[in-house]
Amino acid sequence: MKPKLTDLLRQLFPAAAFDGQDPTLGVGSFAEWDSLGHFNFLLLVEETFGLQFSVDEITELKTLAQIRENLAAKGVEA
Amino acid sequence: MSQRIQICGTSFLLPGNPAWSALGQGWEPVFAGFDEWARLLLDPVPPVDPPAALVWVLFLEDLLPGQALAPSLALKDPGQRRQALAELVAPLLIPLDARLANHPQTPLIVAYSLPVVGSAIEGGRGRPAWEQARQALEELLRARVDQHPGLLLLPLDRQLARLGLDQAFDDRNLYAARCRLSQAGLRVLARCLGDLLHRQHNAAKKVLVLDCDNTLWGGVVGEVGLAGLALGQDGLGKAFQDFQRAAQDLSRTGILLAIVSKNNEEDVWEVFDQHAGMVLTRDDLVAFKVNWRDKAGNLLELAADLDLGADSFVFWDDNPLEREVVKARASQVTVVDPPADVTRWPRLLRDLPLFGRFETTAEDAKKKAQYQARAQFKAEQGRVVDETGFLKGIALKPSLVPIGPGSVARAAQLCAKTNQFNLRVIRHTQADILALADEPGAVAFLGHLADRFGDPGNVALLLARPTADPQVAFLDSFMLSCRVLGRHFEAWMLAQAVAKLREQGARWLLAEFRPEKRNQVAQDFLAGHGLIPWAEAPAPARERLAPLCRDMGGQIYLAELASLTIPYLEIYDETQAD
Repeated sequence: MKPKLTDLLRQLFPAAAFDGQDPTLGVGSFAEWDSLGHFNFLLLVEETFGLQFSVDEITELKTLAQIRENLAAKGVEA
Repeated sequence: MSQRIQICGTSFLLPGNPAWSALGQGWEPVFAGFDEWARLLLDPVPPVDPPAALVWVLFLEDLLPGQALAPSLALKDPGQRRQALAELVAPLLIPLDARLANHPQTPLIVAYSLPVVGSAIEGGRGRPAWEQARQALEELLRARVDQHPGLLLLPLDRQLARLGLDQAFDDRNLYAARCRLSQAGLRVLARCLGDLLHRQHNAAKKVLVLDCDNTLWGGVVGEVGLAGLALGQDGLGKAFQDFQRAAQDLSRTGILLAIVSKNNEEDVWEVFDQHAGMVLTRDDLVAFKVNWRDKAGNLLELAADLDLGADSFVFWDDNPLEREVVKARASQVTVVDPPADVTRWPRLLRDLPLFGRFETTAEDAKKKAQYQARAQFKAEQGRVVDETGFLKGIALKPSLVPIGPGSVARAAQLCAKTNQFNLRVIRHTQADILALADEPGAVAFLGHLADRFGDPGNVALLLARPTADPQVAFLDSFMLSCRVLGRHFEAWMLAQAVAKLREQGARWLLAEFRPEKRNQVAQDFLAGHGLIPWAEAPAPARERLAPLCRDMGGQIYLAELASLTIPYLEIYDETQAD
């Protein structure tokens, strides 16, 4: 079974505390999730679900909800 | 505790990316800021807390855009073109040269990349521009490796090519984050760096132990007989044969081969002696255990027979159950979990980093014969009651080999690999050894020993360094390959050092034994060769030497050189030392 996006967040930022239900959860929600952390997170999402975001998507996808919606449009439930 | 590795690069390397976990346990990557690589390499100030190694990842495209090459490549004369390219690339290495000159003690790894650019047509008749630039860079880097023992190279494109360059590089990452590599490419970089770092700090494995049925050949010989085995024919039979070739090639570089098989011994030798598809011969094997006993026990017995630690063994068996038993009961042995698909085995064995070494010395190639000779020595020694008479009769020929550019690789190899007879188990690098040997008042040499049973080569290393007290020398390192244990060569080595130290005006020798996992054999050496344990030393001596021992955590011994009596030297009395 594929992990959820929140599982990937915990994997990448094991020391961070966050609320997985928070609809605004995204870049800047905690210190480690800065722009570099976000890029690394998107690469991890790509590798996990076997897809690739375009440069535009990388610029636009800033919250977990947006990423989830983008994946759903590609037929991936996360 | 993790060791810190400082990493800088001409492109961004995505600190914190999960791919960096492929470095392996024990390494903590610390990244320089983006575009800080030149400042870091040029910085002449020694860091307060130097890293275990510095890594410079060089993407030549970052520093040499295509148009910079054009004038050099327009030159028609190949010699002139080569010279012009070298002149173009050489200034890029100025920061590297500064680093090597300013901080020679910190190991430095240069990972470099210049992937294939352009279409197949470009290389149809001429040599593509990038290929020529890469060659110029490689020649300059290789010249530096010869001069700097602490420098390692990682030609990254060769490793990335396994993944496929299109998979390894990602232009999307380049334009979005100034990182040339994909996450998968980054993982290859991290894994390769991890392999290099691991080998810098750990000895390579020495013995490959192979199963027979369904490992060296397809099928169970006891069931299908000689004619029923898959070996040598097209398909799987060819894969098994190529696997044997890969093993044989390893043995030619000094890796010892052995077999451990649950089988009737005569069945196994029938295959070795009579099957036309066999590549390996009995002579390729340094030892074997073919019986119906448990393989873990057989492996540990093999290690004892060869006087090698089981942690220098690698075990390859097709049967997952046997592998699990070995993992559980002989946990020191490294067990390979090969894929079920045998066609992948030959390449997998050839690429296994467990056996990889930075340099192969002349001694390596002679390993098999040495271990076979050692087994013969042990057998004859066991039959003789008068040890001194026996040793006098085997034509021992010891000699000293000074530390220098031609011998320092072997000295560092002994430091990295000697676990048993090793007083302090300090893993000195080549740079450390050269620096120590150059200190005024130091006595540093390798010991070479030959006898009737063979020429094991340079088998011992002794490094004694001066201390703050000009009349006191400290035995920094003393180690002896287990191949020559039992010949009292350690006594002869110590005697040579003592003579040299006395010539230089030293009066005292201070030594330390640091207990490690497997160096018990060295524990009794100091007391057994005239040195006095600290607690038993005369008070005036302790008073004088105490300030020199403050940092020593091991067992301290000392000797007054004028009165030191070393036993066993009569064995070497009639030998001709060079």
